[in-house]
Amino acid sequence: MIYYKEWIKTRWYLLLMFLATNGFAGYSILRLFRASELKGIAHIWEMALTRDSVFIEIPLQYIPIIACAGLALVQFIPEMHNKCLKLTLHLPYSPVKLLYSMIKFGLLACVAVEIVNIAVLLLGIIPLFAHEIYWRIILTSLPWFLAGIASYLLTSWVVLEPTWPRRIFNIVLSSLILRVYYLSSYPESYNSFLIYLSIFTLLLGSLSWLSVQRFKEGKQ
Amino acid sequence: MDHTDNIIECRNLTHYYGNRKIYENLSFNVPQGRILGLLGKNGAGKTTTINILSGYLKPHSGECLMFGQNINTMSNEMRRRIGLLIEGHVQYQFMTIQQIEKFYSAFYPEQWRRDAYYELMNMLKVAPGQKISRMSCGQRSQVALGLILAQNPELLILDDFSLGLDPGYRRLFVEYLRDYAKSENKTVFLTSHIVQDMERLIDDCIVMDYGYIMTQQSVKSLTDTFKKFTCTVPEGYSAPNKIEGLYHPFVIRNTFEAFSFLNQDKVEEILKATGVPYSNITSEKLTLEDAFIGLTGMY
Repeated sequence: MIYYKEWIKTRWYLLLMFLATNGFAGYSILRLFRASELKGIAHIWEMALTRDSVFIEIPLQYIPIIACAGLALVQFIPEMHNKCLKLTLHLPYSPVKLLYSMIKFGLLACVAVEIVNIAVLLLGIIPLFAHEIYWRIILTSLPWFLAGIASYLLTSWVVLEPTWPRRIFNIVLSSLILRVYYLSSYPESYNSFLIYLSIFTLLLGSLSWLSVQRFKEGKQ
Repeated sequence: MDHTDNIIECRNLTHYYGNRKIYENLSFNVPQGRILGLLGKNGAGKTTTINILSGYLKPHSGECLMFGQNINTMSNEMRRRIGLLIEGHVQYQFMTIQQIEKFYSAFYPEQWRRDAYYELMNMLKVAPGQKISRMSCGQRSQVALGLILAQNPELLILDDFSLGLDPGYRRLFVEYLRDYAKSENKTVFLTSHIVQDMERLIDDCIVMDYGYIMTQQSVKSLTDTFKKFTCTVPEGYSAPNKIEGLYHPFVIRNTFEAFSFLNQDKVEEILKATGVPYSNITSEKLTLEDAFIGLTGMY
């Protein structure tokens, strides 16, 4: 039933997130089509092969972190408003399970939207490129999508933190953590690291419980 | 009263915010079936106590038991037996009155009383699709109360239930709650900054001053035994700051006033022994609010 509450809180934002992120994905594809019409597909291939261009980094690179952070804000600011989280934690259900049910809802929503984003990208680039090139584009973009998941988990951690000094510290630390996902702009440079980055990203979920623990202890 | 009849038992609670001591070695019990009000000035530690009891504040030392279990290890079953009203009647504002009932009912399947909630909602004359965020504070208080009544808990913990309510809603809240608690033999622990409301509602009170409990007793025994004594003193006389056995003695022009649990003869003995030049002494029965001010002082 906790999902019912999360759905009521986030449904309009999820619709906006779905439309906006896919709008940006579609826009990236449209730009690529336009460039191929203006300069010819041979030129686009040449760019991909000789200049390591993946074409979609603008504007897609930072869209997942913004969209997923927005979801965490929409989901957890109402919980912290007037300390509403007390009501949630007072429900006759394990507080850990309650928190991670809320996080699971948000994570699944982020992953679902990102899968659709990737599908939109694939649908757009498959007709233009050989599979080596379009997989290269997708693999290059995966750290950005992982950054989206990380930004959701980190924003949850920040918002659930009950005190402002620690919240500011969490924001600074979160910014540094998110920098890890953008260390290299070279295509596929994260390939050998993606599995570890995925595990690291999921582990960030444990931080939210620290904030809730502090909330339960009455830190203010 | 037997030890096992206490629904809440707090022993030697001590809490600090930073270096500021809120209270030290605070101990009290809440017996089953009683409505107990915690009275204290702003900053005396009422909300701190409620936060400790509801598990949202870890005291510096001491322990609290509810239904015989330590609140630090509050089980799901124990939470199911406790109805919690947060200061300001906080509820999920993004839900409608229908959605919030549907949400909570799933967590209390065997005890949920949908009719109790909708009976109160019908009095508000609001549409089921009305969002809580668009309701007045008074209406929100009824939603919060309706949800607690529907939860049908054995213990109700209410933090400053009168906050933001106009007199009509305060009266409605108090009468509905008292009727429910008495007819269903519920235990209620509550705070309010409006003491007149408490007088209509509570059976027992704890009066807190900064750092300690001044008294815990039934409202009837407090208002029966704690009295205001007024006498005439010569113009220009200034009362001592402290007189043993008397609370907050003060003089306005030629009238001396003080409060005490002692009877008039004893008070007169004290006044004579202290050298107060009094005459025409009278005693006055007090309301709960007057008794509260008499105990804690106006400043």
